[in-house]
Amino acid sequence: MKLSELPRRCFQGVIPAMFATVDAEGIPNVTYLSQVFYVDESRVALSCQFFNKTKKNVLVNPNGCLQVLDPVTLDAYRIEIRYDHAETEGRLFESMSARIDAIASHTGMSGIFKLISADVYDVVSVEPVAILEPADPEQVLDDPPGYRSEVTGLQLVCQRTCRAKGLEELLSTLLETLEEAFGFEHSMVLLTDESGARLYAIASRGYGAAEVGAEVGLGEGLIGTVARERCVIRVAGVGAELRYGRAIRASVHRTSGGRTLAPEIPLPGLVDAQSQLALPMVVGDRLLGVIAVESRTAAAFEEWHEAYLEIIASQAALAIENLLGKERESEPEPSAEQLAPPPSPIATADKKLRLRFFPNDDCVFAGDEYLVRNVPGKILWRLLRAYATSGRTEFTNRELRLDASLGLPPVRDNLESRLVLLRKRLAQKCPELALVPTGRGHFRLEIGCPIELTEQNSG
Amino acid sequence: MGRQIPEDLVDFLEGGVSILVGTRDADHRPETTRAVGAEVSKDRSRLTVLLCEHTAGRAVPNLEDNGRIAVAFSRPIDNFAVQLKGRVVELRRGQDADRRVAERYYAIYGDQLYMVGMPRSLTKRIRVWPSFVVTFEVDDIFVQTPGPGAGKRLEAS
Repeated sequence: MKLSELPRRCFQGVIPAMFATVDAEGIPNVTYLSQVFYVDESRVALSCQFFNKTKKNVLVNPNGCLQVLDPVTLDAYRIEIRYDHAETEGRLFESMSARIDAIASHTGMSGIFKLISADVYDVVSVEPVAILEPADPEQVLDDPPGYRSEVTGLQLVCQRTCRAKGLEELLSTLLETLEEAFGFEHSMVLLTDESGARLYAIASRGYGAAEVGAEVGLGEGLIGTVARERCVIRVAGVGAELRYGRAIRASVHRTSGGRTLAPEIPLPGLVDAQSQLALPMVVGDRLLGVIAVESRTAAAFEEWHEAYLEIIASQAALAIENLLGKERESEPEPSAEQLAPPPSPIATADKKLRLRFFPNDDCVFAGDEYLVRNVPGKILWRLLRAYATSGRTEFTNRELRLDASLGLPPVRDNLESRLVLLRKRLAQKCPELALVPTGRGHFRLEIGCPIELTEQNSG
Repeated sequence: MGRQIPEDLVDFLEGGVSILVGTRDADHRPETTRAVGAEVSKDRSRLTVLLCEHTAGRAVPNLEDNGRIAVAFSRPIDNFAVQLKGRVVELRRGQDADRRVAERYYAIYGDQLYMVGMPRSLTKRIRVWPSFVVTFEVDDIFVQTPGPGAGKRLEAS
């Protein structure tokens, strides 16, 4: 049989492959391989992370014997291969390396598990191995008839994202439709921040009351690696030791002054994720962000998912870009209705809300709880001060754009996405404050109780 | 010169962990297959592994040809792994008395696969019998836990 006839899930590393080689003296060696990469119908690649016995052997005797398992059916395949060459750069190397980096970064092993080379082997023969008794014919249930719903799903996502009127609607519709059309129950979108060095979570689905605003550095973890390399990474059958180590993630907090700075919002995620897939959203040469989905099922994401999600990521990237651009171009005057006076403060009025701003890191605390920082923190503080000094509650995006002190990039800013993040954080953490859109480019600051503002340095 | 299997390794080797077997033919072409049970001899100088007849179609002729064998044991939970190498001293068809080794192995190994998410409907179909019984004298033992230390000779304890 041909290599291309094997299900691709055999090459996702769900069940480690077996690999035997022979040394110069004729002594065999056998080992597990975490992953066999499918290169094309006549070649596979193995990752060389250490100069081990296997590598030494194939340099003197190129013959190798692989056995891979289908993680769904447990069918086994024997693949005879011959070592051909090692690659230390190029597309194959980069893609294998990004994968290893992502896993290493997950486990705090960055730099230890590092790809030395992508070792390319020619496939000599492929044959099935009868490791299982034949299935009891009475128990075999055929797959349900192949109703191809994928195209319908794609159509649905495209239609709905195109029709979204604002960023918030776009993102929530996108994640909702991914679940409806493709069954992806756990998903999130992260956008690149002003510095281009970090991503922040702006929307998530399937994580309960997961918080928005979690940040990931470029190159950090699966999502950060996808962002840095701008390539899709799919991880299937995440081993126990490779699973999201969020529970034990070392949190390096800076301590200064009388306050412990601990504004790290945990990234939404399944502690017991078995499969993950993350895709970059790129327009032109700019990275807008990352879409990430995960599942508790091993090998939940297949190659076609990757292909479909890539289409969706491109679509989403264009839609985001388009929405932000449109928003900048047309910021009409608000109608009289939109400028109606704010509703009277709700009944919590006797309680005074203490808000603190730490200019060192542009961090805002509500009471003792961390609220938001960076650009959204500066925006919030600017609005609150305007309210405190002049009683203003109506604001425009334009005036924020023109305020250089906020640090928004001069062209292609991401103000809209920052306001979405700020709105969501307020709704979750400080419902006494709200930013209510009152028309394109206009919004109102609603304050439900007396506030007290303090600015302090933290160290 | 043979090597004695350390006492503290015996439970691990007999404990139903995953067992890979490497052999080679007269032209030095390798073959890999799975073993379905292992037993350490009383004096700990020999190891016996069971190879299922359905999947050992190449391994058995290889062993008859040159007797060279490598057997790797790996525990999924922590990836602790060792590899034993040696020369076959006995190769025969399994008797009823050997079947208990295969069945004990199958029970533990099947449970492990079930725990990592393999449905029973699949694991119960794994073939373990009839088997060949392969006994070899251990020449060398290597640590194979993934990482920079993989491949080092296991120091005598």
